Amino acid sequence: MMHFSIPILHSAVTIMTPLLLASMGGLFTELSGMLNIALEGLLLTGAFFSVVFTYFTGSMIAGTLLGIGCTMLLSAILASVTLNLKSNVFITGLAVNLFASGLTVVLSFALFANKGVVVFDNIRPLPLLGTPRLASIPILGDIFIGHSAFVYLSWLLLVICYFVLYRTPFGFRIRATGLHQEALSSLGMRPNAYRFASFLISGFTCGLGGAMLTLNLGAFVPNITAGKGWIALVVIFLGNKKPFGLFIAAFIFGLADAFSNYAQGALNIPSDFILAIPYVFTLLAMIGSSIYAKNKGAIES
Amino acid sequence: MELAVEMLNITKTYPENNLRANDGVDFVLRKGEILCLAGENGAGKTTLMKVLYGLEDHEEGTIKIRGNQENISSPMVANRLGIGMVHQHFMLVEDFTVAQNVLMGIEPRKHRISYDLKKAVTLVNEVIERHHFSIEADMVVRNLTVGQKQQVEIIKMLYRDVDILILDEPTSVLTEQEIESLFSTFRQLAKRGKSLILITHKLREIKAISDRVSVMRNGKMLGTYETDEVDERQISALMMGKSISFFIEHTKKDDESRPVIEGRKITVLRQGQERPLLNGLSFTAYSKEILGFAGVSGNGLGVLEAVLGGFIPTFDGKVLHNGKDITNIGTALLRKQGLAYVPSDRLHIGSSLKATVQENIIVGESGSFKKNGFLDQKRVTKHTNDLLQRYSAKATAQMPIGTLSGGNIQKVILAREIERYRDYIVFSEPTWGLDVASSQFVYEQIASLRDKGAAVILISSNLDEMLTIADRIIILYRGTRVASFSGDEARALSKEEIGEYMLGIRNQGDRGA
Repeated sequence: MMHFSIPILHSAVTIMTPLLLASMGGLFTELSGMLNIALEGLLLTGAFFSVVFTYFTGSMIAGTLLGIGCTMLLSAILASVTLNLKSNVFITGLAVNLFASGLTVVLSFALFANKGVVVFDNIRPLPLLGTPRLASIPILGDIFIGHSAFVYLSWLLLVICYFVLYRTPFGFRIRATGLHQEALSSLGMRPNAYRFASFLISGFTCGLGGAMLTLNLGAFVPNITAGKGWIALVVIFLGNKKPFGLFIAAFIFGLADAFSNYAQGALNIPSDFILAIPYVFTLLAMIGSSIYAKNKGAIES
Repeated sequence: MELAVEMLNITKTYPENNLRANDGVDFVLRKGEILCLAGENGAGKTTLMKVLYGLEDHEEGTIKIRGNQENISSPMVANRLGIGMVHQHFMLVEDFTVAQNVLMGIEPRKHRISYDLKKAVTLVNEVIERHHFSIEADMVVRNLTVGQKQQVEIIKMLYRDVDILILDEPTSVLTEQEIESLFSTFRQLAKRGKSLILITHKLREIKAISDRVSVMRNGKMLGTYETDEVDERQISALMMGKSISFFIEHTKKDDESRPVIEGRKITVLRQGQERPLLNGLSFTAYSKEILGFAGVSGNGLGVLEAVLGGFIPTFDGKVLHNGKDITNIGTALLRKQGLAYVPSDRLHIGSSLKATVQENIIVGESGSFKKNGFLDQKRVTKHTNDLLQRYSAKATAQMPIGTLSGGNIQKVILAREIERYRDYIVFSEPTWGLDVASSQFVYEQIASLRDKGAAVILISSNLDEMLTIADRIIILYRGTRVASFSGDEARALSKEEIGEYMLGIRNQGDRGA
């Protein structure tokens, strides 16, 4: 049992990180009262621009920061069309998703004359962090040590996310915006300002999450996000809209994904079925959680 | 005499319906006085105050605060000028504590970025103690009573050093005792030099609390009077243009009365709460009788309404309709079996705001308006217009019901429900937020249903209403029946005595009813 479960758990931690990052940003928009379905498009934008800028600048840090900048710019456009021009957030989010998937392919063709997978030879694999001492901790060391900086950064950001939401005036106002926006507007504050900030934050975390996807690979694959932004949306609800709930929910999805990667090589089942595991799992998890919520609601109300 | 507010020649037209809500209104508030702004629903009181608070702009007129002309473009500007407003609907975040609600926007900080939650509690507790409020700063708003939530709104304004305080219908959801304590708070505030404006249409309260009263009707200011120099009848006459008092005849239960709805030991539980929402409630509603359920909100009235309407399941006990078990059969079946029901939440449960008046009228009954499988629009419109006329509702069949005034929406719902009633009908808070004339209309309708033989169940936290029309009254406290009176017995008691039952200070034991 142990011999194969540890590598699966280890890779689950890597796989969950973009989900965790995207869902963190999504948590801000969700709490401010906006259903942000654009996470997928933002993640893809971050993935593309980070790897492209890393290629051109030769620096992963510069590339990631510029990628995040592009993603935040797109989320700012999304926010201003939604909030200032009062468009439906679902439609504008959909537009961002379609725009991102088109734009990345068009730019990829324009820059590299390639509509398919673009491999960047000068991008080295992400350095893996950890000390031998930490790595020697039984099981936990095997699972949680030896990941890239993105993984540990996402944990740090999760703590910051909790702190901001529950320990700063800004976080209280974001939550009040979603819970009862008149509580703010009747005191002369602008709920939309807090929604705008939430969109920017989701642009930031999605940019970072996207960067991890492509820099890990050293390549850009069209639609590399493959629904991760949508799953991140599910993670928000399964995590009960609590920062540390996100961690658990994202880990479970990471595990499902890691298992399907493992099963492709090890089990004699058509790979199409195996690749569907994370998505089937998403569906089952949503059905399960809504049944649970319904039963709970029926007793409470 | 120092003047706090002077509004001159204020004119405000709502472009949506071209309604002139304020027509050249003059208004003066003196420093340190309590002034009641009186008028029927739609007289323009709330609009005038929204202009003063910067929530509405105005086309004409000037506003002076403490003698200086000001342009109040937003609530922020109003706050800065020391003007605060407590809205009829609370602007509170239920999941936050009292302190977090009060300090929204002016949070104390630690190390510049983090929210100093401990200091927040201390700061707000200081204000609470200074003004002798009964709540604590670290209580979560969700767990407060309506009266306490109102205190939070007032504290919110006091914390901001407001010295001109506007309160929109502050007593509409409070009990007698809560009103008394609210009024003593108002008097203390006035003594400290704060100036208060109370928007109200309750005559008794105007006499009880105010120094002066300004009366509006149809968007115009009729005048401002020293409260001592006018009596209730005069104020009422100004407000309505004619004098009205409620008069409803009471009938004795006669031999032909028969039980229609029976509740047997109804118990409703909620997860995570030890105390049942309804605790073994038994009652019988007879035909030709108005059975009232009175109590302070939060003590089971709403739950009883939801049980009778079929929205929530009971944990134990039975509801019988003419002896037939209708417990937990759900709203759809209840309606089929003859439930007629005027809900307290007329805007969400009682009507579909975006649908037209006629759609709201035929909803649930659309089957009987079919012709060749399609709706017979002409017949629907005719039916609707008949009803609108009979119930003197100011509306047309094709208007979205959400554009009507509260009183007219209630008339449309009444029309629909009375049309479908068979032998019993449930009213919950039927006159909540309605003006005197509309209330009288509702009472007359209820009484005439009773006279026609209906078993009427009236659920209401308005004690005046209970005493006016109920033939029998059951008082609920914490989900338990603590007293029952015949209407005459109840009217012989003082309101304070009944209030003591409602607040659980007294308990009559179960006498059976």
